[in-house]
Amino acid sequence: MTARIIVDAWMAAMTCCALGLMFNAVRPKGLPIVATEAYEIFVPCPEPLGEVEGLNALDQRITEDRVLIIDARDKDEFSAWHLPSAQNIPFDYLEGVPEATVRKVASSGALRVVVYGDGQDPDSGRELARELAGRGVRNVFFVLGGAPALRGGAKGTSEEGR
Amino acid sequence: MRRFLDWRGHQWIGLLARLYLGGVFLFACWHKIVHPDSFAVDVATYQILPLPLVNLFAITLPWVELGAGLMLVLGFRARSGALLTSGMMVMFIVALIIALAKGLDMSCGCFASQGSEEDPISYRTVLRDLCWLALSVYILFLDRRPIGLDALLERRSA
Repeated sequence: MTARIIVDAWMAAMTCCALGLMFNAVRPKGLPIVATEAYEIFVPCPEPLGEVEGLNALDQRITEDRVLIIDARDKDEFSAWHLPSAQNIPFDYLEGVPEATVRKVASSGALRVVVYGDGQDPDSGRELARELAGRGVRNVFFVLGGAPALRGGAKGTSEEGR
Repeated sequence: MRRFLDWRGHQWIGLLARLYLGGVFLFACWHKIVHPDSFAVDVATYQILPLPLVNLFAITLPWVELGAGLMLVLGFRARSGALLTSGMMVMFIVALIIALAKGLDMSCGCFASQGSEEDPISYRTVLRDLCWLALSVYILFLDRRPIGLDALLERRSA
């Protein structure tokens, strides 16, 4: 009985395959049986993005001790204004953060990593924070509204930030 | 055990399972038969089969789905049909798990070709396929006297 089930299944499968090949041969736009050119497939690469929490620009946790503050904006914007003690890691949407930089952040010994960016949509600070979190850095936060929100608050001025 | 295997209720549960599963396979094969080119892209997206086999697979698999679906719905060699669906479900589940392990953000390509945003693969897709595999296995092992064409032909010849 079991053998008959297997034989019948095999016969049915072979018949169906033959029908499929015949149908493909007679249809006007049949596929070539052996593909010669690779298909152009678009599968987005998995991005190691982690979950991060947004902090209000006036949140006390930004100014606590042992907080590593990262400015995700480009160098010009950073030199124009930045929070005191902020480190500049310009975020590039196309190129990921170098592994050495991630390692440096991870081994900084900071209890918390706070990232701020341009505050736009999407916010470079939030994106950098997500990338750092996705690549294993713990306790990463970003500042809601980014640098404009911080400048609007009482966190620093261009003078004290330099 | 013997009494459980011989229980007549399996026939009716099996009939429902066959109609449902057969319907799923018939529905699934339709778009693939009409648009083998789209299905070939779906197969290639899994990045499991070598390129020379992608088209052959895309051409033949939907017809095996059609055959298995018809066998289940009509009750013609239903248990063989269930063996075919079981084999295909195992194959799909393995392919899905590999794709998920690779982190591919894609559609499963099980029915009509859809974008990954509309029908993304996930462990829910795997769970769904596991349920269908369970149904196939039920039919294969417990629907021992399937209601359908086979029973009809057997009665006529007796």
